[in-house]
Amino acid sequence: MLDAMSDKLAIEVEKVSFNYAKLKALSDLSLRIPRGISFGVLGPNGAGKTTLIRLLVGLLKQKEGRIQLLGQHPTRQMAHLIGYMPQQHSLYNELSVAQNVDFFAKIYRLKNRTERAKRVEEVLRLVNLWERRNDGIMKLSGGMKQRVSLACAIVHNPPLLFLDEPTVGLDPELRANFWQHFANLNSRGVTIIVSSHTMDDAAHCNRLAFLRSGRVIAEGTPLQLCQATGKPDATLEEAFLYFVRREGKNDA
Amino acid sequence: MMPSHALTIAGRIFNQVVRDRRTFALIMIVPIVVMTLIWLSFPKEMGMLDYIAPALLATLAIFFGFLLTGISFLRERSQGTLERLMASPVSRSDIVLGYLFGFFIFALAQTVIILFYTIYVLDVHYTGDLWQIFVFQILVLICAINLGIFISTFARNEFQMVQFIPLIILPQVFLCGVLWPVEQMSTALQWVAKFLPLTYAVDGLREIMLQGKSLIEVGFDLGILVAFAVGISLITAFTLKRSAGS
Ligand SMILES: Nc1ncnc2c1ncn2[C@@H]1O[C@H](COP(=O)(O)OP(=O)(O)O)[C@@H](O)[C@H]1O
Ligand SMILES: [Mg+2]
Repeated sequence: MLDAMSDKLAIEVEKVSFNYAKLKALSDLSLRIPRGISFGVLGPNGAGKTTLIRLLVGLLKQKEGRIQLLGQHPTRQMAHLIGYMPQQHSLYNELSVAQNVDFFAKIYRLKNRTERAKRVEEVLRLVNLWERRNDGIMKLSGGMKQRVSLACAIVHNPPLLFLDEPTVGLDPELRANFWQHFANLNSRGVTIIVSSHTMDDAAHCNRLAFLRSGRVIAEGTPLQLCQATGKPDATLEEAFLYFVRREGKNDA
Repeated sequence: MMPSHALTIAGRIFNQVVRDRRTFALIMIVPIVVMTLIWLSFPKEMGMLDYIAPALLATLAIFFGFLLTGISFLRERSQGTLERLMASPVSRSDIVLGYLFGFFIFALAQTVIILFYTIYVLDVHYTGDLWQIFVFQILVLICAINLGIFISTFARNEFQMVQFIPLIILPQVFLCGVLWPVEQMSTALQWVAKFLPLTYAVDGLREIMLQGKSLIEVGFDLGILVAFAVGISLITAFTLKRSAGS
């Protein structure tokens, strides 16, 4: 039997470890992520953010520990409930913007042609690329590719969205737009897991996990994490450093 | 039921190639250029070209089919789109079949061009039925495409893939009876030839084109090619890793 709390959890990670050959990428990692929020996974390069997301979307299998998505053991049948935006753009360069999004719409079983066309237009307007729909991917800037990639990840309206550093290379205005949109998705019950290494993004999340060397060194709301430092006006940046130092003391 | 994801992937590959006009043009023109060069360099007496033509048709089909698919599949891996697909509801067999369908159209177009050009423009003689030659070539292509996908799973980048081309293609040209009969080689090499698909492609196509045999009469070669194609695509679908990085 699932306990009452699991029902409300979008994601439950229990004591998960993962190694690439000899390299320990994640060790004994546990997280409980409620539904309908934006959850930030914050940490420097190499902390294990991408590895964690790959495990959650089923691209990697953990050696130890347990992962549950929407209260269930993840299976291939659940793949359509997941939207995944990888860290690299991962688009078909020869195809147009609209063709890329349309391909993923088809893959995620949006069968009806007119409905699909409507949905593709909707997401492309959302990421502000409708006017560029017929351009090849090669003609786009980095930020635009990032937006196409996001469009591909959300085209099928998944209840779980995994975004690996989605705001890298975006200007502040677009970044704000992205977060505005994520909040809209949250209000419709979508759970979003966002990885980032900048504290700008962290402030937008409902909850955060600070990740370092494959371990969660702190978890909570941005406010809780700042207050934990003991300084009344601490920034998230300072909070992160505070937890890094505390972790160092524990190790010693 | 028809695997609909495979058709979606095939459709995407079709769009990718057709939108890239230069690639599309090269796919159509290069086979003609290559065939013309070979024709020009061959002595015109004693029906030498007639003898070698079936072997060349089979070799070019394997060569182009292998290259086209192998490189494209590798790009899918290095661009990260394969990983993205692997996280979607698409199965591994959808991917392998999708590639097969997608590239089959272009490989087939190449084969048709080479065949008609060889027969009607270069005036190479043949005795068998045209449609039987065709059906046989289609099987050779399916082998080549599967081989391309299979080999590309061993390469991590374009440089490595390029190294596989001579490794896979050249020995086949020398060992599979294209230039001299397999029986003239040492026993050890004859054994190696037994495991290379081109051996059966060359043997079968020659019997159809030169001796006018039917598909049923070359059933052994045909059977081996089918077994090879099915076997290798099963292995590929099985060994495709979910994550591109590991
Ligand atoms: N495919 C891989 N093979 C071997 N090591 C890897 C691979 N991917 C990541 N790593 C290593 O695992 C650790 C975590 O990497 P990653 O999850 O990509 O971190 P992040 O996304 O936080 O930058 C790093 O030390 C990285 O070098
Ligand atoms: Mg990363």
